[in-house]
Amino acid sequence: MNRGLKLTDILVTIVIAIGFGIVYKLWGPLYYFVKPLGLHIDQLIYGMWFMAATVAYLIIRKPGVAFLAEVAAASGEFLVGSEWGLEVLLFGVVQGLFAELVFMAFRYKRFDVTVVSLAAIGSAVGSIIMDYYKGYIEDLALWNLSLFLGFRIIGSILIAGVAAYYLVKALEKTGVTNLVRPASKQDYDALDQ
Amino acid sequence: MDLSFNETWLHKINPTLKLFTMILMFIFVLFVHQINWLINLTFGALLLLWVFSGHPKKRVSLLLIPFLIIFISTSSSMILFGKGDTTWMKWGLVHITEESFYRGLHLGFRALIFATLGLTFALTTRPVNLFYSLMQQVKLNPKYAYSFMAGLRLIPIMIEEFLTIRNAMKVRGVEQERGVRAFYFKIKSYSIPLLSQSIRRAHRIAVAMEAKRFTGERDRTYYYKLGFSLNDGIFVAYLGVLILLGYYLSVVWPLFPVGDVRY
Repeated sequence: MNRGLKLTDILVTIVIAIGFGIVYKLWGPLYYFVKPLGLHIDQLIYGMWFMAATVAYLIIRKPGVAFLAEVAAASGEFLVGSEWGLEVLLFGVVQGLFAELVFMAFRYKRFDVTVVSLAAIGSAVGSIIMDYYKGYIEDLALWNLSLFLGFRIIGSILIAGVAAYYLVKALEKTGVTNLVRPASKQDYDALDQ
Repeated sequence: MDLSFNETWLHKINPTLKLFTMILMFIFVLFVHQINWLINLTFGALLLLWVFSGHPKKRVSLLLIPFLIIFISTSSSMILFGKGDTTWMKWGLVHITEESFYRGLHLGFRALIFATLGLTFALTTRPVNLFYSLMQQVKLNPKYAYSFMAGLRLIPIMIEEFLTIRNAMKVRGVEQERGVRAFYFKIKSYSIPLLSQSIRRAHRIAVAMEAKRFTGERDRTYYYKLGFSLNDGIFVAYLGVLILLGYYLSVVWPLFPVGDVRY
């Protein structure tokens, strides 16, 4: 069985990702208007920027999709003129890579809410590593840093993990996922009967 | 809405070269810890955007407004809660020190230069040229490049579909409620149709492309041919001179009496 990405997989992934790219762009203003509330409340909604990877992976269920989706979403956000500019592109690459590594660790065989949440945490860790280099976050007071990290991880589990899972669950009911998913073992068994 | 602009030399730079130069600049800036140097670099980048973007000054000014908000929001956490020894003000959890203040300011300028370079790129590059150039100069697989170009073309259709759903709900008298349940309903009633239609459309396009013998082979012909020109040299030279001159000026005329901002 050929497990590489076909044109259909790539195109569907990129189209989903570009949709998320627009959401990412619109999420920017929301993020920096929440920020002045202080105490890192903004970190709770940060997880939205990890969602393309998990949603695309849940829909298409193939290796490489999570990484491609996150990079494509970041590129889309960058090309329509993000307030963060170049930053989003490199964050996208690292976040996508970390989500992909989590799915790889489970050998692309599990599609449940736990794995997706772990991938969301993976993306969060990737973004924190980038913030370490970019934002001197280690120079924040300790209580403040813990709040920052805690909120980001909780937010990413809720949005890119749980919400992404239920979004795709709802999408499955439309039947559209059958178009793009590879045939599973169950499908082959059904043919044998 | 009038979105016309003049083509300047920035538009004529090879898109791949522009992208990679800017990524290198991004990584370089991550290692700049001297605030005076960074401020000079930021002004150099802003100058490039302001003078050579080819867009009306009014539009550029409008696009710069969010940058100011980002500047403030990026620097404020570090200013208020960062580590430092020379206390300026202490009020409850807030602890402003000289060190945290300059570090916060540094982060603000860093966000500003990233945003400026990014906006300069976005305003002076046509996505189609970028993907054609990536296929020709760095041999990006055409499957990815054409998928991107098709995907970008679908954005207006997605927006139109979004408006259709909104109008349809209005016509049918869907009540605008408040609260968590209503929020959930709203998210679901927009995202599911938008996503499912996009997937169906993307799938159809892929089938059509393959039916017309699109194979994704790298050995193919291109309608637009992109190469290099003198403008590429000018661009790289501008950034090179900016880095050196910015460093020189930061030593000769420092704006702030601080060096490295790290704790």
